[in-house]
Amino acid sequence: MNKEPTARSAKERLRSARIRIVVRKLHNYLGLYLLTFVWLFSASGLILNHPAWSAAQFWKVREETTAQRAIIVPSATGDIELAAGLMTQLGIVGEIGEMKRSSKGDAFEFQVVRPGRVFRVEARIDSARVRVTQIRLNAWGVFDALHKFTGVSLDAPARTRDWALTKVWSLAMDALALGLMILIVSGLFLWYRFPVKRVPGLIALGAGIACCAFFLFGLGTLFG
Amino acid sequence: MPPRPPRAVFKAFYRWTRDLHLYLGLFVSPFVLVYAVSAIQFNHTLMPWGGVSNAEVAREERVVRVVVSDSKNSLEIARQVRQQIDVRGEIGYVRRKAGSREVRFPIETPGHVTTVDVDLSAGTATIQQRSTGVWDGLTYLHKMPGPHNATVRGNWLVTRFWGWTADVAVYLILFLTASGVYLWTVLRADRRTGMAFLGAGLLSFVAIIVAIVA
Repeated sequence: MNKEPTARSAKERLRSARIRIVVRKLHNYLGLYLLTFVWLFSASGLILNHPAWSAAQFWKVREETTAQRAIIVPSATGDIELAAGLMTQLGIVGEIGEMKRSSKGDAFEFQVVRPGRVFRVEARIDSARVRVTQIRLNAWGVFDALHKFTGVSLDAPARTRDWALTKVWSLAMDALALGLMILIVSGLFLWYRFPVKRVPGLIALGAGIACCAFFLFGLGTLFG
Repeated sequence: MPPRPPRAVFKAFYRWTRDLHLYLGLFVSPFVLVYAVSAIQFNHTLMPWGGVSNAEVAREERVVRVVVSDSKNSLEIARQVRQQIDVRGEIGYVRRKAGSREVRFPIETPGHVTTVDVDLSAGTATIQQRSTGVWDGLTYLHKMPGPHNATVRGNWLVTRFWGWTADVAVYLILFLTASGVYLWTVLRADRRTGMAFLGAGLLSFVAIIVAIVA
């Protein structure tokens, strides 16, 4: 009579243990895979939060060079096509940023960005000449740029990514964000399966939630 | 040769590291979630359910009298006005044209912005309060304190406190990565596969960085 429930519970225990092992492996291996990405965003986040640190002074020690040359004005219809045509001639690769065309259409300016380097291109369409200013940043500048290098902006929603590597990097950022969420969920699962740790874990989790909720919801409600 | 530490010390160290990894990880997980969700928002210019455009409802517009001593320090003027109009929050920036008697600044908290236009000649402040919603609040927290407007940043104690909290969150994440690596190395069975994942992560990281930067 008792054999059947015992066999079933043993089977359930085995299944449950297998799930725990799979989740633990997922937590460990995913964490190891994302390790360097987490370090990059943690370190660059610290630098962004401390503009007074010497590591954050990369803009002051930038190297700036300017060159002028003749160009063949590309037969482009739109600004992006025109910028892309000029970039090919100038051998510049990166994400196209701000673009500005004069009202007469005889001058065209744009910026090309890649982590650690900024190109400012000022083209005279009428005289087929271009002035290129190149700004080089040190390793901290690269760090800083990588943290924010999305190719899009919440302040300019119409902007799109036009460089393949910007798309790759934004994909890596998404993967990291999703990976961190999976680490959180798997971590919660592993903690919950440990009955002895439930109460102290709940206190730690509750403290974190309360602290975050205070900043996210409490400030506006209390002081807004 | 110095004597090796007894096995009990290793065991205690392992247990302490495992428990700290667990509890500190649980504590920091809501912060990680805030950063991860807002990172996706930044990466896709995503404001779910209309974001600010839907949440942005002018709650109140009022004009109040203020008594402010003119100063070259625009932040000081903004601070005085903030105190008199009884609105609490971080002064985002202060805009004042040279020689002008008009000052404009926003007072921000996550999800709320109060725009203040001060006319120093008339002694009035026009205040417009609006709600920008929780999604905007997430991106606001992600960016704070940040590198922009460093000279005015942290003019509200709570923003400074958030800055310290954000730092603590980063240090805890770094501790979690270090303790996680230690705990993995102790598990002999997982070493080889773990090494493969660590190597794959490092390789993809270096490959992307080199392609982007070089």
